[in-house]
Amino acid sequence: MREILPVPSPGLDLRHHYGHHQSPAIRAGGLIFCSGMVAVNPETGEREHGTLTSEARRIFENLKLLLESAGSSLDRLVQVHAMIYDRIEYDVLNRVYRQYVPNAPPARTVMSVQIEAGFKVMLDVIAAA
Amino acid sequence: MALQRDVIAPKDPVVDMSPNLNLPLSPAIRAGEFIFVSGMVAIDATGERMHGTVAAETRLAAMAQVLESAGSSLAKAVKVNVLIYSMLEYNNMNEVYREFFPVDPPARTVCGAKLCGGSKVEIECVALA
Repeated sequence: MREILPVPSPGLDLRHHYGHHQSPAIRAGGLIFCSGMVAVNPETGEREHGTLTSEARRIFENLKLLLESAGSSLDRLVQVHAMIYDRIEYDVLNRVYRQYVPNAPPARTVMSVQIEAGFKVMLDVIAAA
Repeated sequence: MALQRDVIAPKDPVVDMSPNLNLPLSPAIRAGEFIFVSGMVAIDATGERMHGTVAAETRLAAMAQVLESAGSSLAKAVKVNVLIYSMLEYNNMNEVYREFFPVDPPARTVCGAKLCGGSKVEIECVALA
């Protein structure tokens, strides 16, 4: 069973706003696979560039909306690929990150890569449905 | 019915990067039939980062321990992602990697990326529980 998750808030559909050829999230085999998430306004879809911390906060808030609308939650994250624009901000990422997954955090890999549209952070996640 | 999600605690705490390197991650998460292992870097006998050649850092003994703590093993790995600081070192990584997966190796992606903490190699995997 493969099911496209509807977005709980219109701004989160990057396909609609930016033409990205992707679904926001797919549920399959009891897991939820989310497309790479960047900092956008959940209502309008406007990009919200900022510091790594502010972008990460926005992403986690959006992820919370998305996962909870599907009956999951941040506590049910299984694996996170955290992509950051520069590894010099590794510790900055860790500081904001641990506020959102304080207990039993998901498996994680951090890498420094080029991210679309000049963002500083992108999270690519899998959660238990 | 919601998928079961469990944190895997390694039998030998030295391979748990979370307390040893103060990182907000679990060594591995079991979700349904799969185990998701965090990106692992080379560590020494005390749990500190071990810096060496790509060949030395590629040794997968710690990952094997994490999987075995979850009742799985390297032989049950489904997908491995290898991040390496320079693709020029691809063969040096491969020579060691193949020792750990002598037959029927898992699906794998290798990419050159900037890694955090001065490691040359970081490896994550998804395995059958």
